[in-house]
Amino acid sequence: MFLINCPFCGERDQSEFSSGGEAHIVRPKQPTELSDDEWAEYLFMRKNIKGIQFERWNHVHGCRKWFNVVRDTSNDKILSVYKMGEKPPVNYK
Amino acid sequence: MLDILHPNISNNNKNNININLSEEKIKINIRGKNKEFFTKVGKILSIILPSESNTSSSNENYDVLWLSPDEWMIYFDENKNTNIFDQLYKDISSLNFGSITDVSSQLICINIKGENIFELLSSGSPFNFEKFKNNVGSSTQTIVNHIDVILHHKSKNNVNLFVRRSFSEHLYEWLVDSSNFV
Repeated sequence: MFLINCPFCGERDQSEFSSGGEAHIVRPKQPTELSDDEWAEYLFMRKNIKGIQFERWNHVHGCRKWFNVVRDTSNDKILSVYKMGEKPPVNYK
Repeated sequence: MLDILHPNISNNNKNNININLSEEKIKINIRGKNKEFFTKVGKILSIILPSESNTSSSNENYDVLWLSPDEWMIYFDENKNTNIFDQLYKDISSLNFGSITDVSSQLICINIKGENIFELLSSGSPFNFEKFKNNVGSSTQTIVNHIDVILHHKSKNNVNLFVRRSFSEHLYEWLVDSSNFV
């Protein structure tokens, strides 16, 4: 268990949140022009790395807003939190 | 199921925590973010919507709770003013300045009073009540006994808890039972 600093409500327990998976996956502009492999790549393939990952989270038992989180999956340390539409912090790769 | 038509359910336990179904209240959920929305709400309710998270605004008629950056809940006793929903709907919702929804039937208000109420709530919630209990007027949305609730610190050691109707009986019984152990 860990704490997440919701950009709207402040620091709350992880149990109030729901993970929305990897962040910054852009929907292809012309899906009909993609091959099956390219479409599957967009739809299903996620990094799931051990280390620093950019994720979407929803404060589902609070303000119900979505936001982005930079999390180190090896130790669950939250490195940065930023709102939807904001650019990801550049100091994490 | 707790019945809002029979609001006299109450419980006084050995720890002097009083838990009872609150009198009938009108609850209105309002959403909006543009200038017209804030102007209209302010004019109709004579109240400024709280912009700071986890806070509330009150006047002699209404309590307004912050739910999210563009969402609030107004609640008041039913006998205060029953046509406020119509006024808000006419001036805001029907003109597309925001969204007004009557959630009176959706939510049950359980009033909890007593010295150990925050220990009681903490026993089933991941929320840190330290700041909340020291600030009258605080509000929050969190989980109590795995159930979504809205909490309003109405006055010292007096909290109004709003819970969905279908969960209300279970939560009420849990509160009554747990209050014997804090």
